Amino acid sequence: MTRTSLAIPPLRPGRGARRADTVATIVMWACALIGAVPLVGLLWTTISRGLARLDVTFFTQSMRGVIGPGGGALHALMGTALITLAATVLAAPLGLITALWLVEEADRSSSPGVRRFGGTVRLVVDVMTGIPSIVAGLTVFALITLVAAPGTRSGIAGSLALAIIMVPVVARASEEVLVRVPEDLREGGLALGAARWRVVTKIVLPTARPGLVSAVVLGVSRVVGETAPLLLVAGFTDSMNYNLLSGRMASLPVYIYSQWQNKGVDAAAYNSRAWTAALVLVIFVLFFQVAARLIGRSRKETQK
Amino acid sequence: MKMRTSLSNAAKAAATIAALGLALTACASNEAPAATSTTDTTTASVTATVPALSGTLNAGGSTAQTAAQDAWRAGFQAANAGVTVNYDPVGSGAGRTGFASGSYVVIGTDDAFSATELSSTTFTLCATSDIVEVPAYISPVAVAFNLPGITSLILDANTAASLLSGKIKTWNDPAIAALNPGVTLPSTAVTPVFRSDKSGTTGNVTDYLSKAAPSVWTYGMVENWPTDLTGDAANGTQGVVAAITGAAGTVGYVDFSQTTGLGVASLINAGSPVAPNAAGATKTLSASTPQTGRSATDLAYDVNRTPSDPTAYPMIMVSYEVACAQYKDPANAALAKAYMSYVVSTEGQTAAAGNAGSAPLSSDATVASAVATAVAAIS
Repeated sequence: MTRTSLAIPPLRPGRGARRADTVATIVMWACALIGAVPLVGLLWTTISRGLARLDVTFFTQSMRGVIGPGGGALHALMGTALITLAATVLAAPLGLITALWLVEEADRSSSPGVRRFGGTVRLVVDVMTGIPSIVAGLTVFALITLVAAPGTRSGIAGSLALAIIMVPVVARASEEVLVRVPEDLREGGLALGAARWRVVTKIVLPTARPGLVSAVVLGVSRVVGETAPLLLVAGFTDSMNYNLLSGRMASLPVYIYSQWQNKGVDAAAYNSRAWTAALVLVIFVLFFQVAARLIGRSRKETQK
Repeated sequence: MKMRTSLSNAAKAAATIAALGLALTACASNEAPAATSTTDTTTASVTATVPALSGTLNAGGSTAQTAAQDAWRAGFQAANAGVTVNYDPVGSGAGRTGFASGSYVVIGTDDAFSATELSSTTFTLCATSDIVEVPAYISPVAVAFNLPGITSLILDANTAASLLSGKIKTWNDPAIAALNPGVTLPSTAVTPVFRSDKSGTTGNVTDYLSKAAPSVWTYGMVENWPTDLTGDAANGTQGVVAAITGAAGTVGYVDFSQTTGLGVASLINAGSPVAPNAAGATKTLSASTPQTGRSATDLAYDVNRTPSDPTAYPMIMVSYEVACAQYKDPANAALAKAYMSYVVSTEGQTAAAGNAGSAPLSSDATVASAVATAVAAIS
């Protein structure tokens, strides 16, 4: 009966409401700005300290035979590129196919057993997203210790550890994309007499393609800055190594760690290399994140 | 149309990544086989004696040796373009464990394997139980302090022990004043700075204090600084240097090569003050004797902390390189032997002296020849 008051809603908020509105606005802006302070501070520190060594030498030289100043991170850049590429090759198909199976097979199955198994797979994928990266590293470390000589480190082991972290990220992101492919498109294909695999390959995948690419790029940006697993299983070296299968391979995050931790006598040179590598890594991650956003945005446009 | 836009976006991203990849495929300009940008040509003779050496040698251990290992790896790799030497500064203890388990083919350690360790350990990579253990990095450790306006002081073993253990509370203590007539000492409080991590430097310093000042330093030779002593704990040599630099009145012990900008104490040995220096460190090693009861290739030294030579600097660190006397894998043997030979050679020792301020082995002919013989036994 008291609801009658709702029949005549106030056209203007009262003075108290306006004051509350102002206070709330100020508090929210203040919180947003405070939240941005660490980010701006971090970027500023990295840029101001990293610019000093952001030169040609940094991108054309390794650390082999370098004592004190000079030297670069070409070996670490190369290692990060190779290890991440191999991790993507390992993880992207696995993640995509998992998502495809979940959306196209498990969810549509008439068998409750398959649907239940789909639910279990989803749970496992969710749990895997939360695995600390060091655990992935230790898992691979334990694996190599079983099959190879102690102390064996290689690029491919690093890729394997990164792939473990990457699979759930890719699976989760691409599942969301596949779910959003309109049901009408599938039904239309089926109605025209196409087989289910043709509907998936010719309709679902092309429609979702930008989103799927975005999911993979998101996965790459998740692992490109990982340090702990690579430190454990890929190790560090001063020299170039193009062979994923044999020998230690440097990577950008481990390069930062090693320059910072194992300083020689001219400590400033080591610090400044570490900062520059950090700057390059931040740029890398930013690039992949923005790329994932852009590709994802263009997908929404196609759906309009 | 819109579909095409999105695809071309994806293509653009792919093209950028590909271009990035292409740019990275270029060889590192400092790794050309000709090694034109590497200035160290003094080691070219090594190439002639050990031709066509190739492979990877994984080494690790002592953090104190980092700077010396940098110099050695640079020199050795310049002479052997096909070889990559990696050194993980994980600490002496971890290095010895890694050598036993086979993670490291060669290690650097600030403490020699103890007799117990030797008898109870199986070395995975070695064909026999014999190891080659040679001193290769002899470095003076300095008592460093921060007193504005004072760059050097004279201390004897007892005052050094009292300062580091916090028994002397202020810098104008009569014990210090008596040793430094003419120096105006401030009344600043003394803050000892010590290593918080298990350290070979701590081991060598406490060994010196326990032998040269047994009445004041009653904690014996320990690698972990005694916990009941007051002061500031700092991690690693860099941490100690930062702590001393940061506050007036601090005093600590660091590798002499890291004392730039700090006050450094001269220690009284055999009646006269000696500043930390490489030549003085060599004299202490010359006055020391190899430990008995070890194999012919195991040159662990009992360092004489009270040498009779008045120019000898007694607070030195003797750090070792360890390899198998006989490797199961001949490839490991060839690499380990070549690297160790370079490390103990005159070129290698000079390179380390230049980069890390250590005392070259070659200044003591007896030790140098014993070390060379031991290294030559690696097979």
